[in-house]
Amino acid sequence: MTETEQAQALLNYLSSNVLRRPGIKLTADSSLVASGLIDSFALVDVLTKLEEVSEMRIPAGKVRPKDMDTVNLMLAMAKRVGKPRQQK
Amino acid sequence: MAAPPDRPFITMYRGDDDITTVTFGEFIQQARRQAASLVAEGVQPGDRVVLIMPQGIQMMATFAAAMLVGAIPTILAYPNFKIEPSKYRYGLGGVTRNLKARLTVIDEKFPDDLLSHVTVEDAKVVRAVEGVEAGVTSFRGVAATPDQIAFIQHSAGTTGLQKGVALAHSRVLTQLQHVAQSLELTQEDKIYSWLPLYHDMGLIACFMLPLAAHLHVVMQSPTDWVVQPASMLSLISEYRCTLGWIPNFTLQFLARRVHPDDRKSFDLSSLRMLINCSEPVRAQSMEEFCAAYADCGLRPNVLQSSYAMAENVFAVTQSGRRGATDPQRIWVDSRTLKDRHVIEIAMRNSPGALCLVSSGRCLANNRVRILSADGQDLPNGHVGEILIQSDSLFTGYYNRPDLTAKAMQDGWYRSGDLGFVVDEELYVIGRKNDLIIVAGKNIYPHDIEEIVSSDPRIHDGRAVAFGLFNPDLGTEEIVVVAEVQDEREIENAFSIEQAARNAIVAELGVAVRAVYVRPPKWIVKSTAGKAARSTTREKLLREQPELSRAEAL
Repeated sequence: MTETEQAQALLNYLSSNVLRRPGIKLTADSSLVASGLIDSFALVDVLTKLEEVSEMRIPAGKVRPKDMDTVNLMLAMAKRVGKPRQQK
Repeated sequence: MAAPPDRPFITMYRGDDDITTVTFGEFIQQARRQAASLVAEGVQPGDRVVLIMPQGIQMMATFAAAMLVGAIPTILAYPNFKIEPSKYRYGLGGVTRNLKARLTVIDEKFPDDLLSHVTVEDAKVVRAVEGVEAGVTSFRGVAATPDQIAFIQHSAGTTGLQKGVALAHSRVLTQLQHVAQSLELTQEDKIYSWLPLYHDMGLIACFMLPLAAHLHVVMQSPTDWVVQPASMLSLISEYRCTLGWIPNFTLQFLARRVHPDDRKSFDLSSLRMLINCSEPVRAQSMEEFCAAYADCGLRPNVLQSSYAMAENVFAVTQSGRRGATDPQRIWVDSRTLKDRHVIEIAMRNSPGALCLVSSGRCLANNRVRILSADGQDLPNGHVGEILIQSDSLFTGYYNRPDLTAKAMQDGWYRSGDLGFVVDEELYVIGRKNDLIIVAGKNIYPHDIEEIVSSDPRIHDGRAVAFGLFNPDLGTEEIVVVAEVQDEREIENAFSIEQAARNAIVAELGVAVRAVYVRPPKWIVKSTAGKAARSTTREKLLREQPELSRAEAL
């Protein structure tokens, strides 16, 4: 998947599985946590999806909630700290 | 007796490649060095010292250092990206004003651009000294008297922050003895914790208790845990932890958010008690956790319960001393409970039967009474406000004699919690004053209502916030309904909702489940003309059936 496709996959997941409010238009730079759209509990589901679309394993202790505030921040974090899944 | 200096005290886990362990000897050295630095900053016995530091060994050593100096430390939440800096500064200003703090200690990595937000009132801001160096650890400490205040605990929320619970040395030590006795602690015990240290469960059970009982505690920060909940179970497995305290939601969170494939690697057989505390204990959450981790070596009755609050230092009750049947459970008729506030025992799983889990029996020298709304003592099986008397009660709310007087009645602390007693077991079922408890964090509805009402499009004072139990999360969530000032503003409901969500997160750091915007005169008013929270709540639940699943309870 290209980065654009990864971002789109995450946006689709957020819209259909995480957000409880229909009608919200999300972009890869929309604030999710700081805007109150999702709570901290939802981050673990989003992180699992991020690992899936980025094909990275994200080590425990390397993620801060602020790295998960937008789709672009998530992908940047996965690139920075993630390890390719096959190396697990 | 001093702890053996080579015994491990704290293991701080920040990731597989970032684990630090200090022994008791190293910790004491670090605390002494920090104490010398506090003295050099002019801190004297009795001075209040505010700690704004990330969860970890340095913060704990600084806390101990302030106590060594005879000062009174208090831990406040570290700023995070969700909280708007100006709001954070405002909340901090309220606390430091009330405390008349001498010093605010931050960590060496505290961002420079946030410095202005911790610089309030006359409190000097200094960075904590990092690490342990030889030659500067001669500081031995100032002897404390039993009635001297040891530290102050602040609960969450804007209103709550003004209430600093002052705890005397003797009360803290007495409580620790009671807890150690009720849990039958041994030197083999090892504690696991992700709990924040500004909360009583984190501070008392997972810092003061292991410090006094010379136990090893394995910790991680709440934020590290919440994004990767499986890390808690990995750490318990790896370090063979025997004890832990958790708010109720943790059980369902672990049952639902950890992938079944990952569960296979956990060995939880070392755990002898995982104590459910600080939120009402839910039978369903306990069952779900036990089912999910049945193959991980869980001992029977590993899940226990306790009723605790900062005003009593920590625990009032503890389950687990009645053998295999603990914690006690009873099935009651939910209709009788709701309508008459009386316990009518029902057949297990019969229609309308509700399973309630006990928080256990009173600790030594702790007593509870149940009072009716008109102040009469109620017999067993009747629901009323829980009052507590013990030898570990707080000194008072710091500098707030008005609030202290309101909370105390003839030597008994009025908890504001609702519950009942059956067979000497205390069952806690809710709150008298509409306090919302989200994942163990106290949120005052009034704070949310004020934030929402500050939008000029909302009719001033016409916002209602309440908590709704979410069975999927195992905790409460926040629901808000607000009236617009002018009917035409209904067209802007979406933008009003977004603004409310943003403002609540920015100020309180919590997300709300739903915000409903309604036309003028929709909110039910009390005879005094104020928004009536409970009747408005009922009205909204009738209108919004999607919310009412939680009301099945």
